Amino acid sequence: MRRMVGSVEGILFVILLALCVVLSLATDSFFSMQNFFDLLNNQSVNIIFAVGLVVVLIAGGIDISFSVAASVVQYVVVVMMIQIGGGNWLLGFVAAMVCGLALGLFNAFLIHKLRIVSIIASIGTYNLFFGLLMYLTRGRSIYAIPDWLDERVALLTVGADRAEATLYLPALVMLVVVSVAWFILARTGFGRLVYGFGSDPEAARRSGVRIAVMQGFAYGWLGLCAGIAGLMQAHMVREVVPNALYGRELDVLAAVVLGGAVLGGGRGTVLGAALGVLLLAVVQNGLNLLGVTPYAFKAIVGAIILIAVTFTNFDKVAPLIGLSNRKARTT
Amino acid sequence: MISRKMLVGTIAAAVMTAGMASGAMAETTIGVVAKIGGIPWFNAMEAGIEQEGKARGVDAFMVGPTSADPALQVRAIEDLIARKVDVIGVVPNDAKVLEPVLQKARDAGIIVLTHESTASVNKNYDFELVSAKDLGEAHAKLLAKTTECKGGYAVYVGGLTVPAHNAWADAAVAWLDENCPDMKQVADRFGVAESVDDSRNTTLDLIRAHDDLTGILAFGSQGPVGAARAVEERGLIGKVAVVGLFSAGQGRKLVHSGAITGGYVWSPLEAGRVFVALGKMLAEGGTVSDGDELPLLGKIRLEGSNIFANMPLALSKDTVDGLAEMGL
Repeated sequence: MRRMVGSVEGILFVILLALCVVLSLATDSFFSMQNFFDLLNNQSVNIIFAVGLVVVLIAGGIDISFSVAASVVQYVVVVMMIQIGGGNWLLGFVAAMVCGLALGLFNAFLIHKLRIVSIIASIGTYNLFFGLLMYLTRGRSIYAIPDWLDERVALLTVGADRAEATLYLPALVMLVVVSVAWFILARTGFGRLVYGFGSDPEAARRSGVRIAVMQGFAYGWLGLCAGIAGLMQAHMVREVVPNALYGRELDVLAAVVLGGAVLGGGRGTVLGAALGVLLLAVVQNGLNLLGVTPYAFKAIVGAIILIAVTFTNFDKVAPLIGLSNRKARTT
Repeated sequence: MISRKMLVGTIAAAVMTAGMASGAMAETTIGVVAKIGGIPWFNAMEAGIEQEGKARGVDAFMVGPTSADPALQVRAIEDLIARKVDVIGVVPNDAKVLEPVLQKARDAGIIVLTHESTASVNKNYDFELVSAKDLGEAHAKLLAKTTECKGGYAVYVGGLTVPAHNAWADAAVAWLDENCPDMKQVADRFGVAESVDDSRNTTLDLIRAHDDLTGILAFGSQGPVGAARAVEERGLIGKVAVVGLFSAGQGRKLVHSGAITGGYVWSPLEAGRVFVALGKMLAEGGTVSDGDELPLLGKIRLEGSNIFANMPLALSKDTVDGLAEMGL
C-alpha cells in the first residue's frame, strides 16, 4: 500500500479520482451507472491496446504498427468468417488472436533477426500493413458483418434515466486481458525477466536471458492484443472500416507513457497503462458533459497530460527545485 | 505483291474517308477527366456521361486517371487537346495545377467545364449541383421538420478546419436560427465526424448531458452512422433525429431502422449527364445567364462563371437501396 501511494499509478489514481469528484459535482450526468458503463465499453479497445503496448515499452522497444495491424486483423477475420459461412465467437477469437500474433511476430522477426531498430521496423510495418490493406481492399468497408459479431453481447443491464445502462462484452474481454498481463508481469519470474531485459538488454543477455524469446513475447503479445482489440472494435461499431483505427496508435502511446512507461524500457505497469487511458477518456467525457467548446479540447487535453506527467515525476522534480533554492541562498 | 499493297492502301483510304465523313457530320465530342477512375463515385459519373451521350447523340466519354494525382489529369487533358475534342470536362484534384493546361485548351478553342471547382479560373463554366448554402439548408429543413423546431441540437463536422463541412454547417445553423428560434445549438460544433467511434462516444455524452437533445446534424462521412448507433443503443429512435450526409451502403440499415433520419448529397450520375448536356449546348453556341432554365439543371443561379443548380439528392428510405447498389 505504501508503495502504491508514491508510485505513478497511485498518483494517477488520485488525479483520476479527483477529476471524477469534480465532474460529479459540476455536472449531474457524470456520476451515473450509464456514464460509467459507457466509459468502460468505449475504452475497452484502447485499454486492450495499451496493455499490449506497455509490454513492448517495458521490454525496451516501441511499436506504432499495432493499430493498423488491428485493422488488418478485423478485415481478414471478417472476410474469412463470411467465406466459411458466418463462423462464431470461438472461431472469431481464435482467428483474430492467431492473425494478430502473426503480425506481432513479424515485427519481432524484423527487430531480432534482421536487427532493425524497433521504431524503424514498426514505421515500416505500419506503412506495409496499412498500404497492403488499402491496396487489396481498395478501401472498401464491410457493412454486413456476421450476425454474431454484429449483435452486441450484453453482460449486465441496469435501468437508467434515459434508456438503460448496459455493459458489453469488450469490458469483460478487457478485464481478462488486463488480468493476464498483470499476472505475467507482476507475478511470474518470466515477467521479471522482461523488466530486466528492458532496463539492460546486454546485462540480460550475458546472464543467459534468451533475447529472441523476450522480443517474441513482447511483440507477439502486443500483436495478440491488437487482434483482440480489432475484433472488439468491429463488435462495438458493427462494421469494418479499413481506416477506422488509423491514427489511434498515438493516443494509446500517449496514454501508456502517461501511465508511467518510459521509452527507454524497464519501467511501466499494466495498471498504469489502463489508468492512463481512463484518465484521458474521463477528461474527454468531462469536456463533453460540461459543454466546453470543442475548439478548446486539444489545448485542455494537452495541458492535462503535462500536469499529470509533472505530478507523476514529482519525486524527480522536487529535489531539483530544492537544489536551485539552496544555490540561490548561497550566492 | 503489288495488289496487296494496293489493297492496304485502299483500306487505309476508305478508313480515312469514313473518319472524315463522321467528322463532317460534326458529332460533338466531349471528354471528361475524373479525379480518379475505378471508384464507385466516378463509375456512376461515367455511367451518366455515357447514358446522356447516347441520348443526345454526342460522343462523350470519361478518362479516369489511375490515381488522384493532378499531374495525371494534366496529361489526360493534353491528350484530349491533341484529339481536338469540342468540350473538355474536368473534376480537378487541384485547381491551381490545372490552370496552364486549361488555358491551353481554351486557346485551342475548346470549351472547358469544371465541376466541384468554383475556384478554377481558366474555364467557361463550373457547375455545382447544389451550393454549400442550399445543401446546408436542405439538412436544416429536414431537421426542423423532424423535430418540429423543438429542443436542442448538436453539429458535427469532419474537422473544425474542413472548409466544405463548415460552410454547410454555417448555412444550416443560420437557417435554423432564423426559422426555428426555439431550437438551440447545445454546444459549439464537434470535429468528430470522420470517426464512427468518436461520433458515437460524443453522441452518447451529449444525450446524457442534454435532456432536451432532439437532433444531431452531422457532416463528415462517418458522423451520421456513429450518431445513429448511439441513438439506437439508447433506444431513442424517433426522439433524437440524426441528419447528415453519409455513404448509402454504410447507412442503409440505419436508415431503414429509423436511426438515421436522412440527408442529402449530390448525384455523380447527374453530374455526368450535366457535363454532356451543358457541353453540347455550349458547343452549339448556347449561352448561360443568371436565372436561366438549363437542361437537367433546372433554374440556375450564375455567379461569375459558376453555375449553381439546386438539385440535392435525398438520402432516404426510398433512395438508399438504389444508391447502395451503385456502390455510393
